[in-house]
Amino acid sequence: MSAELDTFPKLLLHHAEVRPDAPAMREKDYGIWLTNSWKEAREEIEALACGMHQRGFRRGDRLAIVGDNRPRLYWAMCAVQALGGVPVPLYQDSVAAEMAYVLDHAEVRFALVEDQEQVDKLLEVRERAKTLEQIFYDDERGLRNYTQEFLHHYDALLAEGRDFAKRHPQFFTDEIAKGSGGDVSIMCYTSGTTGNPKGVVLTFDNVLKSARNGAEFEGLTAKEDMLAYLPMAWVGDHIFSYAQSYAAGFCVSCPESGATVMHDLRELGPTYFFAPPRIFENILTTVMIRMEDASAPKRRIFRYFMEVAKRAGIKILNRQPVPLGDRLLYALGELLVYGPLKNTLGLTRVRLAYTAGEAIGPDIFDFYRSLGVNLKQLYGSTEASVFVTIQPDGEIYADTVGKPAPEVEVKIAEDGEVMFRSPGVFQEYYKNPEATAETKTPEGWVHTGDAGFFDDKGHLRIIDRAKDVGRMNDGKIFAPKYIENKLKFFPNIKEAVAFGHERDYATAFLNIDLAALGSWAERHNVAYGSYIELSQHPEVREILREHVESVNRDLAGDSHLGHTQIRRFLILHKELDADDGELTRTRKVRRRVIAEKYGELIEALYSGKAEVFASTEVTFEDGRKGKIEATLTVLDAETYPVAGGAPERAAAE
Amino acid sequence: MPDASQTAASDEQAAAEAPARRFAETLLEVQNITLRFGGVKALTDISFDIKKGEIRAIIGPNGAGKSSMLNVINGFYTPQEGTISFKGKLRKAMRPHEAAKNGIARTFQNIALFKGMSTLDNIMTGRLLKMKSNLLLQALYWGPNLREETEHRAFCERIIDFLEIQAIRKTPVGKLPYGLQKRVELARALAMEPELLLLDEPMAGMNVEEKEDMCRFILDVNEEFGTTIALIEHDMGVVMDISDRVVVLDYGRKLADGTPDEVRGNQAVIDAYLGVSH
Amino acid sequence: MNLRTIAIWAVSVPLVIAALGFFHQALAAAGWIAFFTWPFYFEVILNGLLQGVMYSLVALGFVLIFKASGIFNFAQGSLVLFAALTMVGLIEMGLPWPLAFVATAVVMVGVAIAVERVVLRPLVNQPHIILFMATIGIFYFMDGFGQTLWGSDVKVLDIGIPKDPIFILGGVFEGGLLVQSFDVIAALCGALLVAVLAVFFQYTRIGRALRAVADDHQAALSVGIPLKTIWAIVWSVAGIVALVAGIMWGGKLGVQFTLALIALKALPVLILGGFTSIPGAIIGGLIIGAGEQVAENFVGAAIGGAIQDWFAYMLAMVFLLFRPQGLFGEKIIERV
Repeated sequence: MSAELDTFPKLLLHHAEVRPDAPAMREKDYGIWLTNSWKEAREEIEALACGMHQRGFRRGDRLAIVGDNRPRLYWAMCAVQALGGVPVPLYQDSVAAEMAYVLDHAEVRFALVEDQEQVDKLLEVRERAKTLEQIFYDDERGLRNYTQEFLHHYDALLAEGRDFAKRHPQFFTDEIAKGSGGDVSIMCYTSGTTGNPKGVVLTFDNVLKSARNGAEFEGLTAKEDMLAYLPMAWVGDHIFSYAQSYAAGFCVSCPESGATVMHDLRELGPTYFFAPPRIFENILTTVMIRMEDASAPKRRIFRYFMEVAKRAGIKILNRQPVPLGDRLLYALGELLVYGPLKNTLGLTRVRLAYTAGEAIGPDIFDFYRSLGVNLKQLYGSTEASVFVTIQPDGEIYADTVGKPAPEVEVKIAEDGEVMFRSPGVFQEYYKNPEATAETKTPEGWVHTGDAGFFDDKGHLRIIDRAKDVGRMNDGKIFAPKYIENKLKFFPNIKEAVAFGHERDYATAFLNIDLAALGSWAERHNVAYGSYIELSQHPEVREILREHVESVNRDLAGDSHLGHTQIRRFLILHKELDADDGELTRTRKVRRRVIAEKYGELIEALYSGKAEVFASTEVTFEDGRKGKIEATLTVLDAETYPVAGGAPERAAAE
Repeated sequence: MPDASQTAASDEQAAAEAPARRFAETLLEVQNITLRFGGVKALTDISFDIKKGEIRAIIGPNGAGKSSMLNVINGFYTPQEGTISFKGKLRKAMRPHEAAKNGIARTFQNIALFKGMSTLDNIMTGRLLKMKSNLLLQALYWGPNLREETEHRAFCERIIDFLEIQAIRKTPVGKLPYGLQKRVELARALAMEPELLLLDEPMAGMNVEEKEDMCRFILDVNEEFGTTIALIEHDMGVVMDISDRVVVLDYGRKLADGTPDEVRGNQAVIDAYLGVSH
Repeated sequence: MNLRTIAIWAVSVPLVIAALGFFHQALAAAGWIAFFTWPFYFEVILNGLLQGVMYSLVALGFVLIFKASGIFNFAQGSLVLFAALTMVGLIEMGLPWPLAFVATAVVMVGVAIAVERVVLRPLVNQPHIILFMATIGIFYFMDGFGQTLWGSDVKVLDIGIPKDPIFILGGVFEGGLLVQSFDVIAALCGALLVAVLAVFFQYTRIGRALRAVADDHQAALSVGIPLKTIWAIVWSVAGIVALVAGIMWGGKLGVQFTLALIALKALPVLILGGFTSIPGAIIGGLIIGAGEQVAENFVGAAIGGAIQDWFAYMLAMVFLLFRPQGLFGEKIIERV
């Protein structure tokens, strides 16, 4: 890449020159994939930029972008950047009040939105977002009778722009030439767990350098195909479907609608794919359900070859030695099972798939890798322009997030918090110097808020949020979420809460998964009358005990966390519920609430009592309140000697 | 998707800007319709009109004769007395085929879809009457026919997009949940490019969210395509929100006719709904 | 039918034929059946297939009407007889056969329209069993009416199709395989008819309308499909199919009352192929035809013959146990 290609608009001109007829963006509309070449993209972006200029958009202005992934919205990003402005993408599903804060805070003057739904939201908050002057919309459905003079259709904007561009043919390129790598490229608002969202300011250098490093590391070329379906306001989408597309010159496709993503994925067959663990999990569940419905011989073939894949697939993908017999069986399986399966899932052509955001279940992770899908985990954040660590090819382990990405330095602070420094590090939180100072040291190190450590292979392992990590009475580290995640990977366990902070040993509450164990009960003719009855069923207890002990075995193999094996646990008589305040709406455990509400139960876990009476107030769906009461048995689980024999190291690090 | 409060808000806005929409031209007029099954009178001397462009509701308690009225309008039933005038042409009765050809489309309370066909094929059947090219060319699947086929497909795709059912385009409708089947049925009716759309309890059996969606679609159809809509509905709240004029039936007789506000204040209507004995 | 289905058939059919051959060869070796040679086996299969096309022709008429109205039209056999009688009658009156064919076709369309008007229209929305009973009525009426009109003697229907035996595939088998040229021509006509019908119902407006009507009458009415017209068209097409079947069967067996009973031959074909599928009717016919001939010529000879009369039914019964909707019948969709 030549040195002067330091902004996205410059890259646009470059691609329009070098590969004018290569596809830049695709969109499925009215059931047909429509393709736009780089030349066409350049033409439309120029018209859009000119149109916006005519409407009064000036250098430094900000354009809010709200909607599903659409080429027009991506083009608007580039058009704004060409004019020296800053795009501010917003989450399309956020409510009007949330939008009002960002619009006001970022002093947004212009907004481009997808449809009536978003227009309505902006109209609702016009009182609060005083800086907002003009709104452009893409889909005019339902908007015919809106007479406000500050509402403009995208097409009208484009027409004005084309006219202007004809009269000022040099305008667009001149404006682009004024930009440079140090300019602000985008502002991504991240919603913190508390307080207002913070506007992460990233420059072209931040975004482009990160995107290019990532692309080079993975060998991405102009031939990739990417499906853009995650929110445009999320930095990941900005890097994968915008920045890397411009950096490498590959084509990005937009699905027909949110509901058709899976169909579109199958039709498109992307080579480069990102999805959060939740989506990989959903796909796997669908496959399993479909196989349950299939005929017995088909099911048998499927099971057999999935065993083969488990044995040989991952090793083949990691280029490890595999016996010839297994290799041949795997090839046969590819023909009969894996190939058709990947084809239905749209993963046939995938060369590189990432997952990130939360821990992925090792079974799920291994399932995809055993099929030959090169799924990798990465660890990143908005403040890093995504990349902090990536799993390098051939060094994939389900429980780590890999090694530092190119040009990224990672260190573990005194208190166990992960910190990093890289060219992608953000400039500041917009208009929030205190928060900036809290997060970013003067030397450029960024606090991630996550606790983790480097394992013996030099891979980073994230164990929990730093603030949730506690100390046991002997001063050793205790990471509740790490244990809870391991427990929750068992389909029979819906929720888990681990205790151990300022205690001698670790314990846990478990919630059974009614769907999974209900179907187990049906298959094994176990009768039960209620949730409580099933949860306290002796056989269910044994199943969960096995799960806990399996987690313990796993932990024992880990020199850093082996001391946090669960000695005692109990199965809760009610499901933890957001309506009762025990979970957040995003299903995260509220530890303080639970500690207060279930104090007696926790004491029972540490007192050596064998049984405890529980009485809990609950809120029913219709808002009524009631009480659930039960006598719960406290269960003991086997613990295992810790491997490595040097548990002290954990404390030392 | 806008929630109820937003829909309501924009309705109020619209209402504030254009108080009570006015419609001049009469699209359909039924006069003195009486329908008997054997000795039972289903409809007695019903007269009302539907203006071009409006949303007209027919409401009433169970067994009031609402569905019978729709069946008379689209020709499923032949009334013993009375006349129907559609687009200025006076008739004793409609025939289903004639009604469809003249631009009356409908949906059914209990859903009548081609269950073995995909969503797209179902919608395409709505285009059957619009297909022009001759049988021979159709058989060869070539030339003007291919072009025509493409045009019809494109039209159906616009409706699929409009009703946001892209994800179920190729799914056999028999496999779809109830709410989506209702939407496919609406799509098929729209594919006929109707001038008058008859909806028989479009929101029956739906949950709140599905009802809101359906309301939005009905309003959008009316606004976007200018389609006149006559609908039967049980849910009084919905009716009062979206219709321009309401006719109330009870025991096969007309009780009241007017704007939602007028009807709401009508003593006979209140009695009928509260079950005052006759 | 997608590519996968076609591939499966292309592989499995020769396999089944070969397997059956080896099975009989083994039977012969064990002395269970009198004799077995491969050329004779193929000759039997080939003749069976040609016979099967004739079954398909009859089954086709049933499928058309079943698709459109869900009625098992018991009268289809009498339509075949009536068409053949009319054709013979017209030829006897001195019309050249092509003209007689066209005239008979017109008559069959007239019959179809009359049936729709007089019988079906008044019975709209009645349970299927009532409509089925009505078709039994039509069967007896057509049967009697035809014979009243044209007399009840056995007649010869000859439209000049050669009936000489010919030998084919002489290069592959020593002496070639013996087939009747009449059977070959009949099979070709049948194949042509099927192709035309398939295109007609797959790609035309009427085909679409037919599928819609078959699925849901009320919905079909609401999108403006004229139910009655579609029924008239379907009965007319069924009438013309009956005419072609009548010419072929009449030419082979002579035109006589028993022609009406070939409907009974179609039943196993329909069970095998599925009541709603045109390809099903064809393939069902071929399987029954070939299976029947093989059974008759090898096994039948060993156990004393006449296996042909019940073999098809037995095959159909076995099939019912495993796949009640038939090979190509529509699966019943159940919403979960």
